[in-house]
Amino acid sequence: MGLTADEFTIQFIATLIKFAIVAGLLLQIPPLMVWAERRIPAMMQRRKGPNRVGIFKWRIYGLMQSLADTIKLIFKEEVVPEGAQKAFYHLAPVFSVFPAFLIAMAIPYGPDIHAFGTIIPLSVIRVDVGFLFIFAVSSLAVYGITIAGWASNNKYSLLGSLRASAQMISYEIPLGMSLIPPVLIYGSLDLNKIVEAQNHFWKWGVFLSPLSFVLFLIAMFAETNRAPFDLAEAEGELVAGFHTEYTSAKFAAFFLGEYVGMFVLSCLASTMFFGGWQIPFIDVQKLDELTGFIGVSAIFGHVTLMLKATFFMWLYVWVRWTVPRFRYDQLMSLGWKYMIPLGLVNVVLTAVVLAAVRFS
Amino acid sequence: MPDFSILITHGVFHLFAALITLCSLMVVVSKHPVKSAVFLVVDLFLLAGLYASLDSHFVAAIQVLVYAGAILVLFLFVIMLLNLQPEELKGLKFSAVEAGTLVISLIGFLITIVTAFKGDQTGLGDGSLDPAAIETAGGNTYVVAMKLLTNYIWPFELASILILMAIVAAIVIAKKDQKKPAAQ
Repeated sequence: MGLTADEFTIQFIATLIKFAIVAGLLLQIPPLMVWAERRIPAMMQRRKGPNRVGIFKWRIYGLMQSLADTIKLIFKEEVVPEGAQKAFYHLAPVFSVFPAFLIAMAIPYGPDIHAFGTIIPLSVIRVDVGFLFIFAVSSLAVYGITIAGWASNNKYSLLGSLRASAQMISYEIPLGMSLIPPVLIYGSLDLNKIVEAQNHFWKWGVFLSPLSFVLFLIAMFAETNRAPFDLAEAEGELVAGFHTEYTSAKFAAFFLGEYVGMFVLSCLASTMFFGGWQIPFIDVQKLDELTGFIGVSAIFGHVTLMLKATFFMWLYVWVRWTVPRFRYDQLMSLGWKYMIPLGLVNVVLTAVVLAAVRFS
Repeated sequence: MPDFSILITHGVFHLFAALITLCSLMVVVSKHPVKSAVFLVVDLFLLAGLYASLDSHFVAAIQVLVYAGAILVLFLFVIMLLNLQPEELKGLKFSAVEAGTLVISLIGFLITIVTAFKGDQTGLGDGSLDPAAIETAGGNTYVVAMKLLTNYIWPFELASILILMAIVAAIVIAKKDQKKPAAQ
């Protein structure tokens, strides 16, 4: 890789630290999102939502409710259904959490830090095919759901998991296709290079390739099995879908996988279409030199990306409490008959326009 | 102090190699078809890890995307929907003659392939494909894309036509039964 032994050691230690920070960050998402999913709809519907639980007299707008819920989930009795495929039943939550965490490791969380005589990238794994890496690993997410539904030995679970996996496989295609135009425009598969190329407000993907963004947004909701595409756990039809038979910490693990998946796609949307860690009208990478402190640009860049991702997380909740659920045939025809052809046309159009611009 | 980087690189290779061997063994040995399929998924995923440790990230990503992510999901679907039990598979037995024919034809096929590709070192012998050269030529994805869309454009297009034929054939077979009741 062209690194000296010292540089390798520094990178190795830095990777371990980054891994710990990102994993710690990801574990904070479900409690916050559970809180947001109670308070935001409460605000929309002019209710109060949970606001009682607190430590002594500090209630912090009911944020402690999530802590109470987490403790409850972990200490609940665990029930394994009779006739379940034991090994797979226990493994399924792992299969569901692992891909989500692995993808989160490839997101560029900020500009590179120039320190200790080397360049430390602010993503845990920097690969030159970052974009493909994310799709490769996210295609593994379907196993957790499939195996969970099958191993539970429950018909509702199996039906829920079949719906979910068919939906995820179908919408993976438009999701991938919607990201090809930005990749063509910025000319790289490396997510960090894509962010660096969006160094001006008008170079953001959402302006250069708006159709891709619309397709990505729709596919993003379907890929995470969120409303209006939450047919996998349509509670009126399927009890709770693939995780019907799961209790206590394993149930919480599915929640973790789902919310981390949403967070990762929110980060990806910000990275590909909204300039990632770039702040409009400010050169983030120069902040280190301007202030004289190493790491200032990294902190500002990171906060920017998190704010952008928070917007998408809020959008998830907003849409969930606004739009009714699709029917299954509507979901499938939307995916295969409209989004995939549109995605293909979008790819070809972008390629033709780019070729015309570059070779004219 | 021994070179830290080399130590880790070798350690990673041996770890992956051991795990891959173990998983491949489990694919064949497990009695339960779903277990075999899941071990095959893990196996292909680890194989991608091995590719990645050889600095060919593109191949690793495609390996996971296509095999572990897409093809094996369908395997798993079919196995789960048929709900094959371990006992039912015991009925599948080859006679000695059948097994012998199968093994001999497989070996023959392998020998044909090896001899066919033995002399073919397109682009490999001249050192244009070692890691350093790839890095200067513009990275993994670029080199693969250039080779695939210039030197190997005809095999590439033929393969896509083959896949298209398979897709159309699958749709034709699936549609056949649906039309009959409608006509009556």
